[in-house]
Amino acid sequence: MLKLFEHNTLNVNDINKDQTAVEVKNLSLWFGNKQVLNDISMRIPRNKITALIGQSGCGKSTLISCFNRLNDLYDGCKYEGEIIIDERNINSRKVNVSRLRTNVGMVFQRPNPFPMSIYENVCYGLKLQGVKIRRHLDDAVEGALKQAALWDEVKDRLFESAHALSGGQQQRLVIARALALKPDILLLDEPTSALDPLTTLFIEELMDALKKQCTIIIVTHNMQQAARVSDYTAFFHQGRLIEYADSDTLFTMPEKKQTEDYITGRYG
Amino acid sequence: MRQVALNTHISGTFNIELENLRNSVLTMGGEVEKQLVDTLKAVKHNHAALAEKVVLNDLKINSMEIQIDEECLRIIAKRHPTASDLRLIMTISKAITDIERMGDEIERIAKLVTRNKLPSSDTIKSSMLLIGERVAAMMRGTFDAFARQDEAAALEVYDQDNRIDSEYKRLLSYTTSEMQKSTEDMQDWLDVLWAMRSLERIGDRCKNVCEYVVYLTRGTDVRHTPLENIQQKLEDLT
Repeated sequence: MLKLFEHNTLNVNDINKDQTAVEVKNLSLWFGNKQVLNDISMRIPRNKITALIGQSGCGKSTLISCFNRLNDLYDGCKYEGEIIIDERNINSRKVNVSRLRTNVGMVFQRPNPFPMSIYENVCYGLKLQGVKIRRHLDDAVEGALKQAALWDEVKDRLFESAHALSGGQQQRLVIARALALKPDILLLDEPTSALDPLTTLFIEELMDALKKQCTIIIVTHNMQQAARVSDYTAFFHQGRLIEYADSDTLFTMPEKKQTEDYITGRYG
Repeated sequence: MRQVALNTHISGTFNIELENLRNSVLTMGGEVEKQLVDTLKAVKHNHAALAEKVVLNDLKINSMEIQIDEECLRIIAKRHPTASDLRLIMTISKAITDIERMGDEIERIAKLVTRNKLPSSDTIKSSMLLIGERVAAMMRGTFDAFARQDEAAALEVYDQDNRIDSEYKRLLSYTTSEMQKSTEDMQDWLDVLWAMRSLERIGDRCKNVCEYVVYLTRGTDVRHTPLENIQQKLEDLT
């Protein structure tokens, strides 16, 4: 029979190890005595966009912060379980956290450019890594800004302050800063919640282009955004993973009633 | 007239999804059009094998309807379309029901050929074929109007249905008078009447799709409205 539409999204249960960018195995996390994540297991596929959704306090931001060990910065944080990236458990004490954070970039809700020029912002991480040759830095800055769809807007004012850019441009600059380090995984924690609807669409389009080069994991409160941009969606509630499926299925025929109630606005 | 621009969204993927959706309707329409042409050929030459192929092919059209409907649902759930995008999807969702029913009517005629139940009278057969040609032209015009989102073309096609209706009535009256002369093969006569009715119904379905084209371009619902009132309604809108 003639197939009119092609949608190449695997069922989450069929994602094999080679197709996995991040494998979470029985992850639980506590801040002091409060358990924030409860026995999470999931495989996040490579070169796809995976959205984490759920109410505030459900643990989604905490979970993505586990992927670059950002939670280590909080006193009293302890965790169990494994997170496998590149065949290594990143929860292991032997892991070089700086190298991990180079490989797993992160962009936050509010654009946070450093108080320096556009150029310096983008090559900041590279300089920290010891890259000094000007030509290499120039190429990296141009490449990252092009990937972040910002080059054409800033190429003539690279040495102006990053704070002179608009909110949307600043967010793309921060994405370029992460991309300059050529991460395999990009974590986006509500990257557009401080932006206007049109700029939001530009950032979403950018994500769609970037997934060819890296795996994107996005936390969003905006369910419409999760539906629009993501290939896979995971719904969390009170620290538990309630449902994880390809977004086509989750937004048209969720398996769990709790998910259905949340995405249809019936959540009490 | 405001055409729905399919390729101007910020999201390139959404552009592709809408373009694919529109193209899928045209593919489905093209298949149904071919089914009608093949059926008329089968009727003309009493070609049972060709008619058999048409009957089998109807499954393909049914599957297309389901796939397009699922895609409409997927796009609504994921993209939350508004304004012209929403109208396009609603238009497509409704149009494919009519297109699938056109396929069913064609299949009904093809089945008659496979059972060798064609009209024995040459006059009836040639009149049926003439109506069939007109319906095929109307169908082509309908899908062209949809592809180009051309409401003027849609209304021209819409108007052609009146002619088909009057030719159908004339043929119906001639056929019933012939029936009265030979009442033995009543079931065969009824089959012929159903085939004629099917052709006329395809014209009505084309008319429905033309109404959706007007809704798509102008955002106004012109169903169940006589042509002159539609034109007046559209003039009032400009």
